[in-house]
Amino acid sequence: MLQTTLSVPLDVKPESASRLNSLITAFRKAEDARDDPTAVNFGRLIEGIPTLHFFSMSVFEDSAYDPIFILEINCDGAPEPFLQELDRLAGSELRDMLRCCKEPLDGNAQLYREVTDEGSSVPIVPYLKAMTQAPSVFHHGNRGLRRSRIIEEAALFRDVRAELDTPEDNPYFGSTVPEIHKRLRDQMTSKFPWLAKEPEPRISKAERLMDIARLVSFAAVVLIVLSLPGVIAALIFSKFVYITAVIILFFVISYLLYRMHEPLPNTGVTTNFKLMRVITQQIPILFLLLSYPIIAGVLWLLQIGLRHAFGVSSQWAAPVTEIIVLGNLGLFVVIPGLVLWLRTLELNDSSLYKASIDPDKVAEILEHEDWVSQNHMGSIVHVRPGVLRTLIARFGHRGLGLLLRVKATEGYLGSMRTVHFAHWAFLNNHSRLLFFSNFDQSWGSYLDDFIEKAHVGLTLAWGCGVGFPPTRFLIYDGASHGRLFKNWALASRTVSRFWVSAYPDLSVDQIERNFRIASGLRKKELSPEEANEWARDL
Amino acid sequence: MSSWKLRKDVAEDTQGLIASGFGRLEHGMALFLETQPRSGGGWLKALQDALPATAAIETGGELLPFAASFAFTASGMRNLGLSDEELGSFSDPFREGMMQEDRLRRLGDRRRSEWLDTVIEGGPVWSGNVQPEAVEDNHADDATPVQTTTTVHALVLLYAQERKSVEAKTEEIEQLLISHDVSIVHRLALVLDVEEGRNISREHFGFADGISQPIPFDEPRPNSTETSAVEIDGNPAVEPDRVHGVRLGEILLGHVNGHQEIPPGPIVRDSADNPLPEQNEAIGFRDLGRNGSYMIVRQLHQDVAAFWNSMEEAANTLCTQNPTAENVDAKWVAEKVVGRGIDGRGLRPNGRIPDVDGEADNGFLYFDEDRHGTGCPLGSHVRRSNPRDSLAPKEDMKQTLLDAANNHRILRRTRKYGAKFDRKQKDDGQERGLLFICLNTDIARQFEFTQQTWLMNSDFSTLYEESDPLIGPDGEMTIPAEPLRYRAKVKTFVKLVGGEYFFMPSMSGLRYLAGL
Repeated sequence: MLQTTLSVPLDVKPESASRLNSLITAFRKAEDARDDPTAVNFGRLIEGIPTLHFFSMSVFEDSAYDPIFILEINCDGAPEPFLQELDRLAGSELRDMLRCCKEPLDGNAQLYREVTDEGSSVPIVPYLKAMTQAPSVFHHGNRGLRRSRIIEEAALFRDVRAELDTPEDNPYFGSTVPEIHKRLRDQMTSKFPWLAKEPEPRISKAERLMDIARLVSFAAVVLIVLSLPGVIAALIFSKFVYITAVIILFFVISYLLYRMHEPLPNTGVTTNFKLMRVITQQIPILFLLLSYPIIAGVLWLLQIGLRHAFGVSSQWAAPVTEIIVLGNLGLFVVIPGLVLWLRTLELNDSSLYKASIDPDKVAEILEHEDWVSQNHMGSIVHVRPGVLRTLIARFGHRGLGLLLRVKATEGYLGSMRTVHFAHWAFLNNHSRLLFFSNFDQSWGSYLDDFIEKAHVGLTLAWGCGVGFPPTRFLIYDGASHGRLFKNWALASRTVSRFWVSAYPDLSVDQIERNFRIASGLRKKELSPEEANEWARDL
Repeated sequence: MSSWKLRKDVAEDTQGLIASGFGRLEHGMALFLETQPRSGGGWLKALQDALPATAAIETGGELLPFAASFAFTASGMRNLGLSDEELGSFSDPFREGMMQEDRLRRLGDRRRSEWLDTVIEGGPVWSGNVQPEAVEDNHADDATPVQTTTTVHALVLLYAQERKSVEAKTEEIEQLLISHDVSIVHRLALVLDVEEGRNISREHFGFADGISQPIPFDEPRPNSTETSAVEIDGNPAVEPDRVHGVRLGEILLGHVNGHQEIPPGPIVRDSADNPLPEQNEAIGFRDLGRNGSYMIVRQLHQDVAAFWNSMEEAANTLCTQNPTAENVDAKWVAEKVVGRGIDGRGLRPNGRIPDVDGEADNGFLYFDEDRHGTGCPLGSHVRRSNPRDSLAPKEDMKQTLLDAANNHRILRRTRKYGAKFDRKQKDDGQERGLLFICLNTDIARQFEFTQQTWLMNSDFSTLYEESDPLIGPDGEMTIPAEPLRYRAKVKTFVKLVGGEYFFMPSMSGLRYLAGL
């Protein structure tokens, strides 16, 4: 994987929270060079940490928990080089910040003491690494593009633009696309010699295979776990009793579900989302149907193999296949049963109609926003309690995370492509859910995008949060309650007190556009179709 | 043009400006009033006797001698006598005002305590001077809140067929207001200039304005006994228009909006003889919001000579760059900047969108007809103001993106002010421009989104480092063409003179306020 996303959550000594906040603000002010028009803003960090994409430090207050200090890191490659450079550039400031945090109660206490002792110069990297939290779901908008490549391709874009804008004796106008391509390529290759080199693949074949294998294995494990009750029941009862019971239970549960399918009064939101269309488009039904003969075939071959190798002569393949098929038949009861359980919970869940929003905090959030066309948000919500909710939150996140790796390779979440780096992570024994995002445009438009274009995935990922707007069958309504959802999300936010982007003027879309232009210039010749498409990006 | 109407009971309680731009009353006057602290509603009552607000029910029938609309800023509401608790029930943007520092940054007017080039020199001259709530913050880098020299508490929009009737009425009410200690601190004579034959009016640069408007519909909620609050051709409008359909609650408070809920609106304490409807959510309060709307007003100075000079210059540069260019002249560049032909028709890769029944066809979409913007440029003013389905990355996402865009629509009631100016004339230094007026129920999601995420957004539609070529600052504009795009230099032609967020109450709301 070319990019890494992680966070380092650290509990704060409550009495030191305000000191920590002022240390972060002071650090930001020291790094912020916006008064100097000749300097790169936050240049010391951006240039000093060559793997940095986005980095933030924020403190979250919560009436049910002590404050928590979180470093959010989005970088190229492994986190160590990032942390080492960070330590080199800001070690003493970070050490002061760590002194405002609690000493961990586990084995990391020793590391903490070594780092924070008076006058200590022990590297902070091992401690931060030990406290690192892996994300439950993450998304990379420009996947597989190293920072250096993003910046090089942006420089190429500027040069291409200037070249095409030559005011007089412009050779490009009046030329055909192949002529434009050839001339530009000749002009640019000397200045950008990397154009002649084979680029690093954004997603290597091995990585792609691993992503798919992980998702398929996850789906298989879920399927096996869900079919276990059926397998056990099929072993206990006669086939006739079992199948009859499955049919009866299926209809009973379906009837109960039908009775509960309506939204709660005045909470239904109609959208364009069609579940059946998605299922039929996304899940290879044919593959599922074919899977049984494949399983049977594999078992049969195994049986033959065992007989030849060890002389085992028993006929077990057929009965095992039958049990598997019967067990999966049980899914017609298990899955609707779980949905029924979920729906019962949903009908009795409390949703927050008036999230408690602190106007001072919001004013401070707004002050930090909309300075460049990228923005940042950090949020923590509490996770709804209960066995089923916990399972859905954990498995749902795992599945969504794996699915995103396979599906969202072009940066699109639904039809939105404004997210550079985003991730969710569970905190405090899965009782709280952290969310960080580095996105293009305003926070309001970002949330509107979610509401209008990616509400299903979002409801799935965030619906486990306490106070989330009423959901229906896990994916309906929820985030489509635009105002409720926005207020809920706003209430969970904190001030992005320190936040730095290595390329603040580049949107996800623009980075992809630069990539397409560069890719076109790398090629000696383009097909007529490719060429026209390429020229449109210029 | 669709002719939608409000259901009778709603139309009786809604100010006419929602339902109509009073197109048959060509002349208008915008009167900006300053009232006294704690003056109450006495002046409003007297004013209403002389110039009653026009209700929506009165529009569309016989020609009215006068039409009038009334709206108030947050500071104006305070002067009328609303309590802190009641003022707190208005939306945040309204309470904080347009001149709040962070908001000005998002709107593209001001940055780090400096006015940008899209604002007249020295900063806007009028606003509501809505004091921001005292926030104890030691972290604020910013200085004191923005204050304009002129303070506006209320806006009266007056319309009639003749200029002289407007002027006579203005004089009459000015005398009346003086006697109530209310002064007219700013006024603008408005004109519509409807073109004979083709039902369009042109702004000063010469382009048809106000063509594209949302068309409301109202789908009664399940189990509700109410019928649709909107009618089209006498039938209940329960389905959205294919291109411009928005729920009524997007432009009128008290009705279901794009998020499929009743948008929150202001409420006031219950009192004896209160003409306002009850508020079901807040027991003990009355609904001041229902059938009212938030009105955004921005006075925009237009430098017509500069605009056409700049178009001329840009055309010359492009022709030098590409000597083989055909038809590239000032008008061609201007049409690309605006995104519409000077004849009012939409631009298409191979010409113009044909008229329908002699009027410009506004039922068009972009994705299928002009996906890459070789007709109507991706970054043109018209396409930025309402991208329709243009931002869809793929064929099967057209509807989602069209629906998404329609969640950010505004109802425009703009008119121009100042003398006409021919583009071939020399600059006369006269003040002229647009009094941009629009109505919506969620200022942040509708007006501010349009301004920030569409018009001024430097990344809009995979463009880079350019904003709206018509109302934005100096910069570049990409004009897609085959095989190679042009990039034209554009300057700043439109500058903010003053602006504020207003609340336009319902008819019963006006009666309530007049009784304070």
